Amino acid sequence: MWLFVLGDLFIFLAYFVIFMIYRRWDPTLFLGSERHLDLAIGAINTLVLLTSSCLVALGVGAARRAQLQRAARFVQGAIACGALFLALKAFEWVRLAHDGYTFTHNNFFMFFFALTGVHAFHILMGFIVLAVVRRELRTDHFREHVVVAGAVYWHMVDLIWVVLFALLYVMR
Amino acid sequence: MQLSFNRRITLVWSLLCILTITSWLLASARGHREFSPSTGVTIGILVAVVVKSRLIIQQFMEVRAAPNWLRHVTDGWLALLVASILALYLW
Repeated sequence: MWLFVLGDLFIFLAYFVIFMIYRRWDPTLFLGSERHLDLAIGAINTLVLLTSSCLVALGVGAARRAQLQRAARFVQGAIACGALFLALKAFEWVRLAHDGYTFTHNNFFMFFFALTGVHAFHILMGFIVLAVVRRELRTDHFREHVVVAGAVYWHMVDLIWVVLFALLYVMR
Repeated sequence: MQLSFNRRITLVWSLLCILTITSWLLASARGHREFSPSTGVTIGILVAVVVKSRLIIQQFMEVRAAPNWLRHVTDGWLALLVASILALYLW
């Protein structure tokens, strides 16, 4: 899993650098466009994803102590947080599109929809990964490395969002 | 042991939430100048990104207990990320 996670982290690093190059070329447009985003939704979504990561970490700890039912509940909570994140993100996308700020509006919104879209795809993949982890926790002889690998993937999704929140919502 | 593990993870989560709320307030606390360029705000936000990312990598992803090569690669990724963002911002 770490090979895939590191590969993904470096691909996102390239996206972040390209975003910063475009931002450097036209900082006024990027800052002016940021005002149309809902900072509160961005911040709340960050808190939601951090909470889901915390639940997964607690789940790994519970699994190691052989508290498998408790661990499965933590993972279920993390999936619920991920679903809340996507619901808030969808609400934000729809509202922006309704106000005319779509993928083609300008370079900032092109990056906004592309980067948050790719990230949302990673959350959807994460649901599958966490479902596998939850199933593993419900077997008699769970394999710790499967649980840890799933957790590492979910934390990566959280880590990428922490950087996206800074670049898209709060950088000035 | 159980208490200390859960307490440590919960403490890390609390710190991550405090840093997120601080970034939120930092970005929105300048009234009508909220969306004007500010090197101070941006550097403050980047410091929060470094601390949050390292906490996630070291504590949640358990890289603090990982082999040296993984610790070096993740630290290198974070250093490259912040150096690139800062250099392109200040350039």
